[in-house]
Amino acid sequence: MSDPDQTVSIPSLLLLAALGALAVKYFLFPSPTSASASNPTTTTRGQANPADVEQIANMFPQIPRRDIMWDLQRTGGSVAGTTERILGRGGLDTPPPTFQPTNIPSPGAVRPSTGTAQQQSKQEYVDLIKRYKLEGKLGREAEVQEGSSRTWSANSDERQAALQRRREEMVLNARRKMEEKDRQGAGNA
Amino acid sequence: MASALASKRLFHEYKLLSQSPPDGITAGPVSESDLFVWEALIQGPDDTPYAGGIFPAELRFPRDYPLSPPTMRFITEVWHPNVYANGNVCISILHAPGDDPMHYESASERWSPIQSVEKILISVMSMLAEPNDESPANVEAAKMWRERRGEFEGRVRRGVRGSLGLV
Repeated sequence: MSDPDQTVSIPSLLLLAALGALAVKYFLFPSPTSASASNPTTTTRGQANPADVEQIANMFPQIPRRDIMWDLQRTGGSVAGTTERILGRGGLDTPPPTFQPTNIPSPGAVRPSTGTAQQQSKQEYVDLIKRYKLEGKLGREAEVQEGSSRTWSANSDERQAALQRRREEMVLNARRKMEEKDRQGAGNA
Repeated sequence: MASALASKRLFHEYKLLSQSPPDGITAGPVSESDLFVWEALIQGPDDTPYAGGIFPAELRFPRDYPLSPPTMRFITEVWHPNVYANGNVCISILHAPGDDPMHYESASERWSPIQSVEKILISVMSMLAEPNDESPANVEAAKMWRERRGEFEGRVRRGVRGSLGLV
């Protein structure tokens, strides 16, 4: 009685829509964004093309832009390839924490994924870098002044400043060590 | 006057901690105009999921310090069986001898005027390394620590990274 051919499932509709969008894009706008697959700037580990990221994000608003950028960057910047992976597997690999694209487009528009792995990372963090206003000191090399900050000044302001400096050093050192560990981890992989 | 004695004692401890701070600990008053509120930074112990992290906490001292112990509250999230969800630290050295509703702490572990801020902070550091499963302040964290250690450690590590601005 019920003809299976007549029921169109939602995934296949989605697939159709996505393929349609791709087809339109490739036939009507062959350049310049579709040339990104062979674009040397994206294949040499550069940042993913923002237009490509935007395009995929519009098709799949539930996929975080960071994941899209990671996949594009890792696989040579092919929009079609990334789209296929999303359709085929229902999502993309979560990028490693070290992947910190500087220009995620419109971060406010990024919706939290409903995936279980994503939910756990939605904890509220108190960012110590912000708390101690250390953004401006992040890039600098470690200034070793261990001994100097341990002195006990007779002057109250100097004591306060020394304490403040030790707090900042502690946070900055921890951050540096963590970044170093990340780099080593990335080097081994 | 009790609070004058407390101020004197706190100032003395501040000086000692500045001149010879224990490894991985920085502590002192938020402002010298009020010696009864301190901020301490504790480094996560090595070989634990807290390793590499810096955990700031606020210490509030009573006017009759050192007769009564201070309270200690972590400012960032510390996912740990002995830390309440609001950050309050539950450890025997922060409890006065008479104040032991659970009767599990021996008197020697508890607060007395011969203890110090330094001893509190060192105790908290070892508490991070070795949770006390018998008196969980955070039941959910204790359950996860007992039954799903991998998940527990993953959550702690994410917190450490997040607090260093590396999410």
